[in-house]
Amino acid sequence: MNQSPAPNYPQGRKFDVFKILFTAPVVIYATALIALPLLYIFFLSFLKSDNYGGYIFEFNLENYGAFFDSTYLGIFGKSVLIALIATAICLLISYPFAIFLRDLPERRRNFIMKLVMVPFLTNSLIRTYGLITLLRKHGLVNSALLALGVISDPLNLMYNNLGVLIGMVYTLLPFMLLPVCTAVGKVDQNLLDAASDLGANKFQRFLKIYLPLTRQGAFNGALMVFTPAIGYFFIADILGGGKAMIIGNLIKNQFLTARNWPLGAALSIIIIIFTFLLVRLYRKIGGNLDELGGS
Amino acid sequence: MTPRQKTNILLPLLLIFSIILLVILGTSVFRETKDGETRPVLNVLNWTSYLPASVIKDFETEYNIKVNYGTYSSNEELLAKIAGSKSGTYDLIFPSDYMVDLMISRDLLAPLDQTRIKNLDNLNPLFLGQPYDERNEFSLPFLLATTVFLYDSTKIDRLTSYKDLKRPELKNNLVLLDDQRIIIGAMLQAVGADMNSVKEDDLNASLEFFETIKPNIKAFDSDSPKTFFITNEVDAGLVWNAEALLAIEENPNLKLTYPAEGFTLSMDNYCLVKGGKNPDAAYLFINYLLREDVARRIVEEYPYISAVKNAETLPDAELKLILKNGSYVENVGADIKKFDKLWARYK
Repeated sequence: MNQSPAPNYPQGRKFDVFKILFTAPVVIYATALIALPLLYIFFLSFLKSDNYGGYIFEFNLENYGAFFDSTYLGIFGKSVLIALIATAICLLISYPFAIFLRDLPERRRNFIMKLVMVPFLTNSLIRTYGLITLLRKHGLVNSALLALGVISDPLNLMYNNLGVLIGMVYTLLPFMLLPVCTAVGKVDQNLLDAASDLGANKFQRFLKIYLPLTRQGAFNGALMVFTPAIGYFFIADILGGGKAMIIGNLIKNQFLTARNWPLGAALSIIIIIFTFLLVRLYRKIGGNLDELGGS
Repeated sequence: MTPRQKTNILLPLLLIFSIILLVILGTSVFRETKDGETRPVLNVLNWTSYLPASVIKDFETEYNIKVNYGTYSSNEELLAKIAGSKSGTYDLIFPSDYMVDLMISRDLLAPLDQTRIKNLDNLNPLFLGQPYDERNEFSLPFLLATTVFLYDSTKIDRLTSYKDLKRPELKNNLVLLDDQRIIIGAMLQAVGADMNSVKEDDLNASLEFFETIKPNIKAFDSDSPKTFFITNEVDAGLVWNAEALLAIEENPNLKLTYPAEGFTLSMDNYCLVKGGKNPDAAYLFINYLLREDVARRIVEEYPYISAVKNAETLPDAELKLILKNGSYVENVGADIKKFDKLWARYK
């Protein structure tokens, strides 16, 4: 992230009291509900399951070893693949949308951005169930297409990988739209005008100007789509008909059916490390971009 | 930077202050709710959608006992709640067969005093002495669920065997319960093995058999497989008996059959939690649920098989057959890992 210069607040005791007052709830929240449970999960991941939902205090790395079994690696690979495709689709939708939005008058632009945020007012699980009404065999989409004569047999829009992808893209698209729209909106109009004057068409302007200047925003969005997409087991369950097992389902199963909490904990830690590496990568790319911009 | 150092003292002080405030507020809220309740309280944990709310309400008015009713949606969730809560939090629970066995071995249940259950004679003796608690020392049967085939008889020929699930006309047309022990168990039965077998050969054979029906599976669902039938999403499936009967109420063309190679039995039981605070109320509640009129009301809404004699319409001969041909999920100890890994390969 960009380092902003330190704001010039008045220094002194009064300011400190306010600072503490406002940060204390966050500190308590973060310690009690994020840091401590994470420490517990980390600790748990080195223990042994007693096969009945409890654990035996015996240090071992077996849980981490189990991850490298071909079955579990396959699931991890599949999760990453689904998440990657979902991220790519989100990117493909976001850019044309952002460029279209950029040229609109501000009031209409703000209105459309508000529409993008509206679905956030409803719980994502309920929205996923709502998608069933649209996508099922005799749902709205199939009925409409059949009535219009576009298709003669209902399409299989859900209970397969396609359904999982539709669900992931639908749920996570706003996380891509917001950073991409912000980045595209910041691109200097003079650069675009200059490119047009020199004979660049729309596609060339996208490749030579938008893409390089908004890469950081796109990566930011990609990270926010990709990371949850690996773990959103309820979308895989509901729209994939329980057939598409992703790493999120595997972790859930360890806690809810296989009664193997230590393995579930170890898998969670692996996902956290994986995400952490992605953030590192993001920072690295972000850093490089800054250097390029400076020279 | 002297003002900065002061924060080091202020921050913990503030933390302590806010925690104290929270505790005071929290306890005062709790006290209010407890003081308002003068009736004895019975703490029950039961499956979601298992007891009609009116049945509980009528018990409360009849016996002047407040029922604190919580729910769970899997045996593992129940186990986590019982093992993770303070002793005395719950009085009465309804674990299934293998969980009764597991809870007995972990010393979580209190023995049932059968002499305190006046309506004991209402129970069908066929349901007593099941393998997970042979002398019914800790449990008494409540409801029996079985897995069954459900299919649309106007579109699909009668299903009798797991081999029928391979039929090409069932392509992308099947719904199965999303439960690893039950589905792997069914595939084990399909290849002639015991549904609790942990032998590698049997498990591999089950996977091979499963691969042949895999193209026909539209979805795995345990929450509400009947919806798939009601919305015409599928024409056949392996579901719980109550789900099947509820779907038949909506669509009389649907038919129910029992798989010839065997199927899963799941018996839910009345069990007292060790250290429960109000066993007297728990016994009253068990007696109440064993009453014929109450038992009938329960199965009218949730059509599982009742363990109460006159509430169940299935004749004894048929019940005997069901109990003989079906099998319970058994605890397999550390071998549960094999099922979990196999399930990942199934999917």
